[in-house]
Amino acid sequence: MQYNSRSAGTYTVLELKGEVDLSCSPDARKQILQCLDSGRHLLVDLSAVTYIDSSGVASLVEGYQTAKKKNLRFGLVGVSGAAMGVLQLARLDKVFPIHSSTEERISADG
Amino acid sequence: MNSTPDVYALLERGEVYSLEDQLELLADVTQSFAESLEIEATLRNAIEKFMQYMDAEAASIFLLDTDADPLNPELVCRACAGPVDISGLRLPGDKGIIGKTVMSRTCQIVRDVSKDPDFAGQVDAGTGFVTRSILCTPLIVRQKCIGALELINKRGGDGLFDDRARHLLGALASSAALAIHNARMADRLVEQERMRKELELAREIQMHLLPEPGGDGFPVVGMNVPAREVSGDFYDFLKRDDGLIYFSLADVSGKGMNAALLMAKVSSLLHHLAREISDPGELLARVNTEVCESISHGMFVTIVAGFLDPAKRMIELANAGHQPPLLHHVDGSFEEIAATAPPLGVVAACAFPVTTLKLDDSSLYIFTDGVTESLDESNSPLGVDGFIKLVRDAEFGPATRRLQGIVRELRKPVVSQRDDITLMVIETDGDRRPDAMKTQQIFALHFRAEPERLGPVRALVKRAAQSFGCSEALADKLVIAVNEACMNVIQHAYRGDSSGEVSLEVRTNGTQVIFRLEDQADPIDLQGVKPRDLDELRPGGLGVHFIREIMDHSEMGHLEHMRGNYLEMRKAID
Repeated sequence: MQYNSRSAGTYTVLELKGEVDLSCSPDARKQILQCLDSGRHLLVDLSAVTYIDSSGVASLVEGYQTAKKKNLRFGLVGVSGAAMGVLQLARLDKVFPIHSSTEERISADG
Repeated sequence: MNSTPDVYALLERGEVYSLEDQLELLADVTQSFAESLEIEATLRNAIEKFMQYMDAEAASIFLLDTDADPLNPELVCRACAGPVDISGLRLPGDKGIIGKTVMSRTCQIVRDVSKDPDFAGQVDAGTGFVTRSILCTPLIVRQKCIGALELINKRGGDGLFDDRARHLLGALASSAALAIHNARMADRLVEQERMRKELELAREIQMHLLPEPGGDGFPVVGMNVPAREVSGDFYDFLKRDDGLIYFSLADVSGKGMNAALLMAKVSSLLHHLAREISDPGELLARVNTEVCESISHGMFVTIVAGFLDPAKRMIELANAGHQPPLLHHVDGSFEEIAATAPPLGVVAACAFPVTTLKLDDSSLYIFTDGVTESLDESNSPLGVDGFIKLVRDAEFGPATRRLQGIVRELRKPVVSQRDDITLMVIETDGDRRPDAMKTQQIFALHFRAEPERLGPVRALVKRAAQSFGCSEALADKLVIAVNEACMNVIQHAYRGDSSGEVSLEVRTNGTQVIFRLEDQADPIDLQGVKPRDLDELRPGGLGVHFIREIMDHSEMGHLEHMRGNYLEMRKAID
């Protein structure tokens, strides 16, 4: 897994790339929580994720819950087919706010 | 030994009644002992000769009877000669002159019984016979005293027995003792032979009642491996003119001839009635009535009997108190068909409810408790779960070969098989299905329980899934399920101990792909493994849900013969 983060409006965009599995999901979790610690809204870009397992999904769930507690916005953008399949299996596709891209999300926020 | 003097030494010293007579007597008696195993008649004949030759008024042989009470054996008169027939007379083993002879294992000469405190005198009192003098010598063989030989009242002379008489009687006694011993051994052999013959006959009856194999593709296959002791297991099947196939498999309580005869009766009755009656409930009710009238107390028959309609691929059966048959579904699951009535021979007026099964491509396994009570390598009974595992692991292919494989496994760990092993499998289109049942290994690999190994495992699984025709979408799903399964092993079974080893085997039978994972971790709590409620939003606990959602069938358990757990998952290829 690789990752990088950038700013887009009031959001931090954390882009995860490659396979998010048990070997790196602790790392992904750490990145997500760090981003939220800075007090900014967070979008996780999953467009380059080729695989994500339940431990990766668990990191996203934890980020979503942490953001809620901090009154921050949390969303997923550009969810790849591989990632969407797993989110659907976990019935989380209706739980997470999901947008096709960062730009769409920002414009949706108005 | 004091009781067996050297007769030839006596002869040489001339201390004999008459050399020729004595030799002749010894030769005669020894010869008749050697020739005959009819010990009672030989003893009667011998004792008569002893009495005449030694000039006594009466003679008898008493033997210790240890059967009734081994601690206080009685002496029983087995042969006698003289004016009073005392054969069958029982005396206490430690009383009287005979008792003293046996207890002390020495010859007793009593010249005047009226002065001997040991003389019991009960025979005289009852018969009017007057005992004056006694010569009594122990019968000893292999250092064991088995009884005594007694002469009463020397005729002529001074009416007393002398040392020469004592020596000669000792010689005769040792010959008699040996003959009795041999006869007893022979009796035992004859008895053993009789029992062996009986068992052989019972087994022969049993084997003759089993049907000939139905041939290639016949939907019913049975197998019976008798234990050393004959029991009353049987199975039967026959094809009726209307196309229905009757089948039955039963276990008659008890062992040996009784069980074999009852089995023969029940089996023949069923075989006969099954041509006329098509309702398995009615069939069993008819036989039950018959059996209840004649059965000996405490015997009963557990049985599964029914009819297969090969055209409709349906089975109707009734189960009278028998071990529940197992229906092995195509998706790999097993269903128990429970008994619906008590065994035959227990309740005279009894209904036997019929169970209807849609067989289709499933296989029905019927078996006796000899199968589930077989011992595994750790000496514990196999149980139904163990049998299920054997069925699963059996070589795939035609039913006969699978049953042979199962029987081979059943008998492997057992030193001496305790009970009959009898089992039957019913499946339609058996000849067309071998391909569906045959599995082929795609790959097997072992890897350390480290998260870093998951990536390569996923790549292998995906390639394998595509290689046997799975769509891209299905291959991705299979990868997810297998990955989650491996994660569970790493995280929960090994609890993060990365030195543990995981093995993954992938097989296919052409219509399904089968994944089997094994670990060597401590047995996990199987009850604790369940999918969580998805409405509850929390990280973790999704893996089991993923597996159940993706796979058609998954099953986990503890390994049979070693520490560890397994997870087997099946999915139909799209």
